[in-house]
Amino acid sequence: MSSTLTNRIVEDYASVAAALPAAGAAAQRRRGAIEALRAVGLPGARDENWKYANLRPLERLRFVPAVPAPPAQLPATEPAPLPGFARYVLVDGVLAAALSAPLDATAAQVFSLAGAGSPAGATPAAAGALARPWRELQGDERFALLNAAFATDGLGIRVAGASSQPVRIELLFIASADQQAGASYPRVELTLADGAHLELIERHVSAGMQPSFVTSAVTVDMAPRATLQHYRLQELNAHSTLFDTLSAQLAARASYRLHGIGSGAQSARSTLMVHLGEGAQLQLAAAAIADRQQVLDTYALVEHTAPDARTVQTFRGIAAGRARVGFNGKIVVQPAARGSDSQQSLRGLLAGAEAEIDLRPQLEIHTDEVRCSHGATAGKLDENMLFYLLSRGLDRDSAQRLLKWAFLEDVIAQVALPALRRQIEERLVGRLRDEQLRELL
Amino acid sequence: MLSISNLSVSVADKQILDGLSLEVAAGEVHAIMGPNGSGKSTLAHVLAGRPGYQVTGGTVHYQGRDLLAMAPEERARAGLFLGFQYPVEIPGVNNVYLLKAAVNAVRRQQGLPEVDAFEFLGLVREKMQLMRMDDSFLSRGVNEGFSGGEKKRNEILQMLVLEPRLAILDETDSGLDIDALKVVAAGVNSQRDPQRSCVVVTHYQRLLEYVVPDFVHVLVRGRIARSGDRSLALELERRGYDWVTGEAA
Repeated sequence: MSSTLTNRIVEDYASVAAALPAAGAAAQRRRGAIEALRAVGLPGARDENWKYANLRPLERLRFVPAVPAPPAQLPATEPAPLPGFARYVLVDGVLAAALSAPLDATAAQVFSLAGAGSPAGATPAAAGALARPWRELQGDERFALLNAAFATDGLGIRVAGASSQPVRIELLFIASADQQAGASYPRVELTLADGAHLELIERHVSAGMQPSFVTSAVTVDMAPRATLQHYRLQELNAHSTLFDTLSAQLAARASYRLHGIGSGAQSARSTLMVHLGEGAQLQLAAAAIADRQQVLDTYALVEHTAPDARTVQTFRGIAAGRARVGFNGKIVVQPAARGSDSQQSLRGLLAGAEAEIDLRPQLEIHTDEVRCSHGATAGKLDENMLFYLLSRGLDRDSAQRLLKWAFLEDVIAQVALPALRRQIEERLVGRLRDEQLRELL
Repeated sequence: MLSISNLSVSVADKQILDGLSLEVAAGEVHAIMGPNGSGKSTLAHVLAGRPGYQVTGGTVHYQGRDLLAMAPEERARAGLFLGFQYPVEIPGVNNVYLLKAAVNAVRRQQGLPEVDAFEFLGLVREKMQLMRMDDSFLSRGVNEGFSGGEKKRNEILQMLVLEPRLAILDETDSGLDIDALKVVAAGVNSQRDPQRSCVVVTHYQRLLEYVVPDFVHVLVRGRIARSGDRSLALELERRGYDWVTGEAA
């Protein structure tokens, strides 16, 4: 990263530091983060795991947090809340209590990270990047530092121990500020106690068509036997820029289903870092649908740190127009992680002559007695499938849309909440139709 | 119904069909037999409009229209159906969805409203019974994880639901055991009708015991070397293709 960029970040920080909420833990976090950023900087295009990301917008973006102006009510275009789910709305990263429908349960505590409402000891014990000494921080988590330095609010969620029913929460992050007015820093700190169950939907949307700059950070800390189904839907408007970092620690036999479906933003980079303890399980299913000149890039690092952990990773990406889709999935099996099992299936579909898909499966194995398989293919629509559909009378456009749809089904079918799955499918249908219309322009 | 005149086709500059002519009238069932590489499947694919084939000469008329000028989907909507030798698997596209989309494509062409979903399901179930397919088929992806026999039955099911004017069945019998063969044959026979025609491409005469053709043609090196009635198939079975290929040479 250029020192100019670092300087700008530090300057932007200095210009607003006095006005940022300064409750104990937050202030400490902030200072640590800006010091670390000053030392290590943000990743640049020459960093190995960032070459598919679009870092150019950073040159012209401002880092000061936007001052949110929450709307009186949610735009009608937002999806209806799912039955049984509490909903928390955060506008430009700040909790909008009036728009939220809080949890009616004692099995979990949900609180604003801005300070006053935080229960004692709310700072996550081992919450990924921020709990570790800065110098140990992996280069790829550095956008989380940006969030840690500038986030003015966010949500802490602590789910208590074993209950038969999962806690159900939806987080709706609305980017409303124009990037000229400042950036948005959504932040979630998630802690699941021993045997706790949570179903979490995390949506990122835009309030209008203004370009927004969003840097989100999510930390997930799962105690033994905790289970989490986490659905992340990235539906920002076509002018926005997103840098997202998720860091998760899974203790023994914890089970994490992480679903990411990205179709929005001008450019979006998602960095996922997951550490698996003994017998822990990760099911990562991600899809990206890009057209025009969108750049959607994901880096997923999964580390098996103890015996018998299991990872199943599925990625499906479609790039149309002049879009670029990247997925770099690295699985590291450390010496202690005997009996590891990992499967990786990455597939890309090129739907435009100038589109680009970069898939990179990586396996780094430091022990014997493991079962690891991986496959990555990128190509065009299957001509045999297409002809089969045409020979049944479907017109070419419908047949192509249908095959794109089918291509994504590997990921969509893994969405275990029927109502959510329907919402996702409806959006994708709309999305695939849009694309057709654009081709007519 | 179908009139093929002097049709020549090559694939990657290799001549496969070499001046083939064939007339199929409404209500007729024609069997096309021939040794491997004689051009049987090429003929089926060219009639359905598969890309990758260069027509270097001749004409094909279907119901009076220039078939070769029509896109594959237009041919399908005009009532031409190809039963594939190797039906593709399309995971993620539901069988019923495809059937319905196919039927509605034809109906739109004819200016008819879309089918009623409930009635349509009833019709599909009825045809499935004939093909001895169980209900789980409805929710599965197109041919996904189907055995060879199931795929062929699915082809015939699609034909029964679509009710084409001209069905071209490309080695629908290959890979079938005798029970499946009978089921498939029953499906084909249930569609025999004075208004409909069928071209059955096959290696063996076994299928023809159940689907009795009006005409049998033997294809050798890209053209029809001999035509006859059903007894020709029996004679081929007895004497082998060498008998005809020798004559044609």
